[in-house]
Amino acid sequence: MARLDQRGSSRETEARGLTLPGRNAGQVMIGIDANTLGRADRMDPVEFRVVGIGGAGSNVLDRAVLDGCEQERLIAVNTDVQSLSASVAPAKLQIGRDVTRGLGTGGDPALGEEAALGSEPELAALLGGVPLVFLVAGLGGGTGSGALPVVARIARESGALVIAFATLPFAFEGQRRGNQAAAALERLEADCDAVVCFENDRMGEIVSARAGVHEAFAATDRTISQAIRVVGEVVRRPGLIRIGIDELLSALRNRGGRCLFGFGEGSGDNRLHDALAEALRSPLLDRGRLLDEASNLLVHVAGGRSLTLAEVEVVLGALARQVSDHTQVLLGLGVDPALGDRAQVALLSSRPSKATLHAPVPLAAPASAAVAPATSKPRRPTAPAPAAPTPSPVAPADIESEPVPPVAELEPGDATPSAAGELIPELATPAPDPVATARPRRPSPIRAVDPAVPADPAGSASASGQRPAAIRQEEMQFEPVSRGRFEKSEPTLEGGQDLDVPTFLRKNIRVR
Amino acid sequence: MGKEHILVGLEVGTSKICVVIGEARDDQLRILAVGETPSSGMRKGEIVDFDNAKECVREALAIAEDRGDVQVENVILGVSGSHIESFNYRGSVEIPQDRDEIDERDIEDVEANAREVSLPPPNTVIHTITQHYFVDGQDGVLSPVGMVGHRLEAEFHLIHGVATRIQNTIRCVKELNIEVEDVVLNGLASALVVLDNHQKKLGALVIDIGGGASDYIVYNDGVVKQSGVLAVGGDHITNDISMGLRIPTQRAGRLKEEEGSALLGNALPGDLIPLRDEPGFAGRDVDRETLNTIIHMRMRETLELLRRRLAQQAFLDYTGAGVFLTGGCSLLPGIASLTEEVFGMPVTLTHAQNVSGMTSAFQNPRYSTAIGLVKYGQAIAEDYSGGGWLDWIKGVLPGKRRRAG
Repeated sequence: MARLDQRGSSRETEARGLTLPGRNAGQVMIGIDANTLGRADRMDPVEFRVVGIGGAGSNVLDRAVLDGCEQERLIAVNTDVQSLSASVAPAKLQIGRDVTRGLGTGGDPALGEEAALGSEPELAALLGGVPLVFLVAGLGGGTGSGALPVVARIARESGALVIAFATLPFAFEGQRRGNQAAAALERLEADCDAVVCFENDRMGEIVSARAGVHEAFAATDRTISQAIRVVGEVVRRPGLIRIGIDELLSALRNRGGRCLFGFGEGSGDNRLHDALAEALRSPLLDRGRLLDEASNLLVHVAGGRSLTLAEVEVVLGALARQVSDHTQVLLGLGVDPALGDRAQVALLSSRPSKATLHAPVPLAAPASAAVAPATSKPRRPTAPAPAAPTPSPVAPADIESEPVPPVAELEPGDATPSAAGELIPELATPAPDPVATARPRRPSPIRAVDPAVPADPAGSASASGQRPAAIRQEEMQFEPVSRGRFEKSEPTLEGGQDLDVPTFLRKNIRVR
Repeated sequence: MGKEHILVGLEVGTSKICVVIGEARDDQLRILAVGETPSSGMRKGEIVDFDNAKECVREALAIAEDRGDVQVENVILGVSGSHIESFNYRGSVEIPQDRDEIDERDIEDVEANAREVSLPPPNTVIHTITQHYFVDGQDGVLSPVGMVGHRLEAEFHLIHGVATRIQNTIRCVKELNIEVEDVVLNGLASALVVLDNHQKKLGALVIDIGGGASDYIVYNDGVVKQSGVLAVGGDHITNDISMGLRIPTQRAGRLKEEEGSALLGNALPGDLIPLRDEPGFAGRDVDRETLNTIIHMRMRETLELLRRRLAQQAFLDYTGAGVFLTGGCSLLPGIASLTEEVFGMPVTLTHAQNVSGMTSAFQNPRYSTAIGLVKYGQAIAEDYSGGGWLDWIKGVLPGKRRRAG
């Protein structure tokens, strides 16, 4: 806790001078620097909070839990007790007890705002000392539109970096809700460091026309929860090439603009390509067409340790065809053994709305100020800097393993958003490294974790990252079954089974 | 009428590429010639090796042209593949204030309205099949032209698939300088020749089990209610046998056709099938019951999957005429009783009906689809010339304008 306080106070004085060089220039090497320096804090469990405001917000939280976000980071805030009690978030705050008496706001933002203002002390207490706050709400209704800007301001005042994820109502919800949403959005932009805005009208395209309403909304929630996860990971997951918060903000910096977001994951031979294709398929990107208009594009590539530079190069080449020449591509590259042989690509950008071209200037200042709290801590001199260069002799020679220290540091994992979170500690325990210490983690013991992995008796796997994949629990790993002549063709999946695999094999019927 | 025209159906299938040349006169259809080559470059009803597939199409066309003494210029092309899906949809139009009688334009409008239903972005409509109309809420109108009303609605069965995948098959034919007159879902084509109007009225399920995929289509009340493709077919059986008995794929295919059965318990213990040695294969004996078990497991699973898919909607309960099996795989001994067991309704093994000409062709269930394509062409042409008995089929790919009103 002491450190937290210190960070809070020294935030302004440290900061930009230190942070910037690390980001901009020769990315690879300096990126490594940043990791090793920043290691100390990133294990801090109190690192970010996701606050869902109103009904839509808590729906997204529910989805985030399903997607593997640790629950303890979630906070539900609502006026409506009924909806609040249905939420899975462990921390719940009813606002405006005197204003709405436990009911909703009935779609009135003024009530929502009043409710939030009335509960300001509680909100401030909840959000105090958290360096990074994600706010989620659906705009257009009462609680979301009214309370969200207030919560944003409170979080901001307590020193956090605030990124809001907001959905705009469907056109069919009527003009009034649209106007309320627009008004709220405007206020929000003044109070947040970045606003990621999803238009429900576009989100509708994610699902097929046949999908039920329920499914359509679930898809929206899923996309937002993915976006939160990616943004969180981009900022927090260290990597070869680290994306700083300033870069993130510059990618998102377009007032009133529409968020362009795509996320994809792939495995197998063509994983990065598949992941990129899936990311581009996102309707929010209009199948990649909208990227052309973006001035900044943030690309975050993550993969297991088998991720090769060649793959990254090829996939960025493919991406380059989608963007125009004047787009600045901000590349982040992370290696996380928990991903096994899978690879993820996240694309994040924003596109100016026609009306607002004056935008960047006013936002730039708060943004950079806000960068300070989060980014300054990685650079705190208390971190065991000397350790940084030493690991390299220990490490296997290839480039991909360079970023391993940060990765290992992720694993002990009080809770990374990466879905593998829960199990990884087991992997880490054999290491001499006491996982729970709050002390800055030295890279050398962490190194010790790594060798432990391949040294494992099973250690079949040419370090191709297969081991971590085997430990992931949410995915059942069967013995690889041959598909015969359908080996190379698109699998026929039905009810979770690959129909190309002989039935008798799947049903375990013995044949001679 | 009374004039003849030549129609050509082309099925680019997974196991074979089949060209059927037919001659339509009035509502009679006569098969003139069949050209067939084994496919290569196809998997599960779709092209995976473009050049190879193209060569096979060229060869099959050449054979048919030769046998039928006909120069093929345009074909009706059958498509299939796991990407094809369908749903029922209701479109509606308001009749303009200045008239109250429904006319042809409104029918077109309501159909255009149906086509505009939002599909997943890569997909395109293959067929919009009108089931029936509603005039001012009145249900079950079959032909609303001339009726008085203010609001015309129509229920459609809409079949759609991924545009690029369909285009691949089309391009394969176009590169041979042959025009594609129409694109038709294989299952729909088969159903056209397999069922008669009475069976369609009673309600029927047609399953066309081909080499790479099984097409299914359900009729209730004379119209299509449900259709789709399950990308499992005879190739899967062959693959299972090849993997289970560890014999080469080609040998497994022959073994399936010569000895296979979908029924269990018919073989005596120790009943061995001797496989003679041949180049690349050392020859051995395989246990008949093992062979049948592999086939049985696959077929049972496939049929159960189909039944589960179909049971998602209630139409299967109204198929009074039962199940009609066709396609190459329906030649598998025992498949009828297995299907009967799975679906719990009468099963008919069938082939193209109501056609004349080469008996060997239309009596073989392998050719149902290709003959059905010709039949489809005939129906469309009749519709075109104004005397249509099948004016509910008006499926064309967007971009190809419909040629008729």
